[in-house]
Amino acid sequence: MKKLAIPTMILAFCCGMMTSALAQDSKAAAAQAPAAQPPQETVCFESRKGASEVTKRDLKPGWPNVKCSPKTGAALWYGDPYDGTVPMGKMPGLEKIPEGHAVIKPRTEKLALMPMCGVSCHNGVGPQFSPPTLPKGKKPVPLPTMEAMVPDLKDLQHGRGRIWCMDCHHTTKRNMLVDHFGDPVSFDQPQLLCGKCHGDKLRDWRDGIHGKRIGNFTSTGKKRWFTCTECHNPHNVQDGARNRGFVQLQPEASPQLPRGMKDASHEKLHPIAH
Amino acid sequence: MSSLMGAAALMVQSDDAAAATEWAEHFQKNYRLMTDAEKAEARARLERRYSSEYGKKVAVDTTEAQPGVLMGYALNIRKCIGCRRCVHACVEENNQSRGTRPGEKIEWIQVLRMERGEFSKDKMNHGYPEGLGIQVGGNAYTPAGQVLEGQYHYNPEAVPEKDATYMPIACMQCEKPPCVKVCPVRTTYREADGPVVIDYNWCIGCKMCMNACPYWARRFNLTKPVLPKEEMNPVTHYLGNRPRMRGVVEKCHWCLQRTRHDRYPACVEVCPVGARKFGNLLDPESEVSKILERKNVFRLKAELNTFPKFFYFYD
Amino acid sequence: MQQLTSFATDYARYVLKGGTKFYAWMGSLALLIVGMMYVFYLQNTDGLIVTGMTSQISDGLYLANLVFLVGVAAGAVTIVFPAYVYHHEGMHKVAVLGEMLAISAVIMVMVFVFAHMGRPDRLWHMIPPWGIYSFSSMLGWDVMVLNGYLILNFICGFYYLWCKYTGNPINQKWFIPLVYVAIAWALSIHTVTAFLMANNPARPMWFHSMMPIRFIATAFAAGPALIILIFLVIRKNTKFWVDDSAIKLLTTIVQFCLGIAIFLTLSEVVVELYARTEHANGLYYLMFGLHGLTGLVPWFWSSVVLMICAFVMFFMPSFRNDFNRLQIPCVMAFAGIWIEKGMGLIVPGYIPSPIGEVTEYHPSFVEWLMVLGIWAFGFFILTILLKGAIGIMLGEVKFGGQTVATK
Repeated sequence: MKKLAIPTMILAFCCGMMTSALAQDSKAAAAQAPAAQPPQETVCFESRKGASEVTKRDLKPGWPNVKCSPKTGAALWYGDPYDGTVPMGKMPGLEKIPEGHAVIKPRTEKLALMPMCGVSCHNGVGPQFSPPTLPKGKKPVPLPTMEAMVPDLKDLQHGRGRIWCMDCHHTTKRNMLVDHFGDPVSFDQPQLLCGKCHGDKLRDWRDGIHGKRIGNFTSTGKKRWFTCTECHNPHNVQDGARNRGFVQLQPEASPQLPRGMKDASHEKLHPIAH
Repeated sequence: MSSLMGAAALMVQSDDAAAATEWAEHFQKNYRLMTDAEKAEARARLERRYSSEYGKKVAVDTTEAQPGVLMGYALNIRKCIGCRRCVHACVEENNQSRGTRPGEKIEWIQVLRMERGEFSKDKMNHGYPEGLGIQVGGNAYTPAGQVLEGQYHYNPEAVPEKDATYMPIACMQCEKPPCVKVCPVRTTYREADGPVVIDYNWCIGCKMCMNACPYWARRFNLTKPVLPKEEMNPVTHYLGNRPRMRGVVEKCHWCLQRTRHDRYPACVEVCPVGARKFGNLLDPESEVSKILERKNVFRLKAELNTFPKFFYFYD
Repeated sequence: MQQLTSFATDYARYVLKGGTKFYAWMGSLALLIVGMMYVFYLQNTDGLIVTGMTSQISDGLYLANLVFLVGVAAGAVTIVFPAYVYHHEGMHKVAVLGEMLAISAVIMVMVFVFAHMGRPDRLWHMIPPWGIYSFSSMLGWDVMVLNGYLILNFICGFYYLWCKYTGNPINQKWFIPLVYVAIAWALSIHTVTAFLMANNPARPMWFHSMMPIRFIATAFAAGPALIILIFLVIRKNTKFWVDDSAIKLLTTIVQFCLGIAIFLTLSEVVVELYARTEHANGLYYLMFGLHGLTGLVPWFWSSVVLMICAFVMFFMPSFRNDFNRLQIPCVMAFAGIWIEKGMGLIVPGYIPSPIGEVTEYHPSFVEWLMVLGIWAFGFFILTILLKGAIGIMLGEVKFGGQTVATK
């Protein structure tokens, strides 16, 4: 009996080792959350809150056009980067890009006041001076009506008091912006206006260094370009006293704490005790 | 005897097709040594298994590196606001494990928050700095603060915070990757168009690459990845985001399933401030080439001679 | 052929017979081995999530024990070297026991390799012609030299025993060169293991050229310390007499290697902490803690205390020459080096992570049970090997002779 004890143990050990090795994945964990489909449609914001948005829909089963963050409501993933886009139109310096390969998401549809501006109040009338700069000796007078409609105007943070409405908005066509020659520019192409002053940024934007583009990455591929105002608030570019070009956002969830760590309070301590 | 029983139990537990597939997967070759026919077979096998497992049509792409393409990445360190959208976009795209138990959640991108610190008159004699940032204080004998250590678990109401800068870190896709050198089975290697990839089916989980990586880019599947059916991304690549198995290492591969088809990586598309740039380094007109030409660029831990194709720059 | 089968049966018959003490010892080891098999099963079904390892701290006790045991295996050369190179009489008699220790230590290392892997079922991927062998990988080299060392020791040890068993003279023509190869090979296993850790610039804690010599110094302290303990047990429990001269020489080796190990540790502390760069963070975490996290501090200081006290005790004749008290500094040196190479070297290599994240390592029960079980497995094999070897050396197991049982 005793003679057999050790060989048996060895045999048992070998078998045990083999069983463990062969039993790979036998306990396939099926911890899967039930699908919770919200009945209402999901709309998430893209770059900054209050600018462009995208509505979630399925392109094919299990393949949506966009995925939104349940925590912040921001767009987290694009299935279709060209969702709701139109060709950008003529843009100097981008002649090399094949026709239709530069697309943008029209801003005009999102701006609620846009259709009214051109007809209700400013029906082709405006200050009759050309060029549309404020005459010497005159100061812009804040209009309570305008401020009520666009609260950012109360404290216009663009240009530090050295520019006024008509430097950007067309004097007679209020649903348009204005370029250097007094010609109207569409709200969908704010870069033609912003580049008037921010030439270096325009150049970087044109080359893809500044700003954001999604879609094909090759230089001749089809891309959706994010225009200036999709990321920057034109009336408050510096985000008030923060003096940064981008507004604050709620961040997404922080990473999981590794096993055994109770919290991350140690991160706020100096590494070396004193 | 017991091993036979184990094998029998394995066969009985799962349905025959899946078990047979897994069985065949056990004996397949290293991806790079497979013939085209074997690759097609492995691909069909995986597509069948994933499709039944996740209840949708899953495509496993095997597109090779395209000639004339060398992928490169650039990140504008001054623009990053630390919102972590890239981290989560990456998870949505690349089918990482999303469990709740410690170790079940895998993220490939880390965003490091670094305190700016301050130089101020009243703190000149403090010796040790109070925060974590770049501060004055200390002398030749007592340490004066460290700048590389920051916070990974920051969670304020809104970012960017006033006193912080942010530094996202993920795989640098080195030209001379230390992880490739240490792999005993050559399952991780640099693809011809740049990214360093892993054949998950050949990985033995020895974790040597995790020791070798100076950027902590590699993650280990401590358990079978928790990937809910409805969140699974069905557009996959064999060397990219196809669902992994327990016990293997995974890492960023610059969204091979996208970039091999001329699409930006998921993190680039989702960055709200456009800090992330991606392009073909061999094309002088690409975004990344323009950045290398025009901006001040640095590589992380350049002294290690890993030659990353991930560049940090600032305006 | 008939000789071979009778060798095997005689060997087994002799080894299986023993007193209650023997069976109690083997039984308790077997119990731990069963526990180890269970946690190995858990690791291969649930995954390494049952251990304390994380993506940050991707290796812990397993790699630590692996590294330490490679040292123990290499430490066997402290018997073989004096025996065959300096023809030390007392050592020559017990050289084969050293080889048996090396065999069981290498087997333990192999089991630890299995334990730390995510996919042990795929180990064949490393072995040509089915798999790929990578010459650029230090782990590949490590596996190669370890297997080579196992084979060398197996051949040398069992050929010697075989000759003793059959009464044939030893064929010096190839035996002695093979022993010399094994001696050089012993150095290679620990050097390559040191390179496995040190060749990672990503981990400043490990990235220095002192690692191989430090590994060898600690190995030649811990290995012989364990051998002394085993010899003392053998002297007490069997008829086999290990010469005082052998134990004394081993004591001297342990003492000086321990001294060198302490010196190297202190050198590292001075070099790292004088400049106190970011690269010293691992060591700083080990010695004092970082960000208020101090998980390894007690380990480090207990190791320092154990090693220094053992070193001092070896100087005292009352410990060095008294074979009833020699165990104390030996156990202390062994434990001190186990901590220094394990918790004190492997774990702080991961803390902080290469990008500065500080997390702590909390080994789980599964890991401890696995470690205990593998050690038990090693001692199980060691007991069998030593018992058989001693039987043959004593002439109790002999070709054609009646096997006599001892306790």
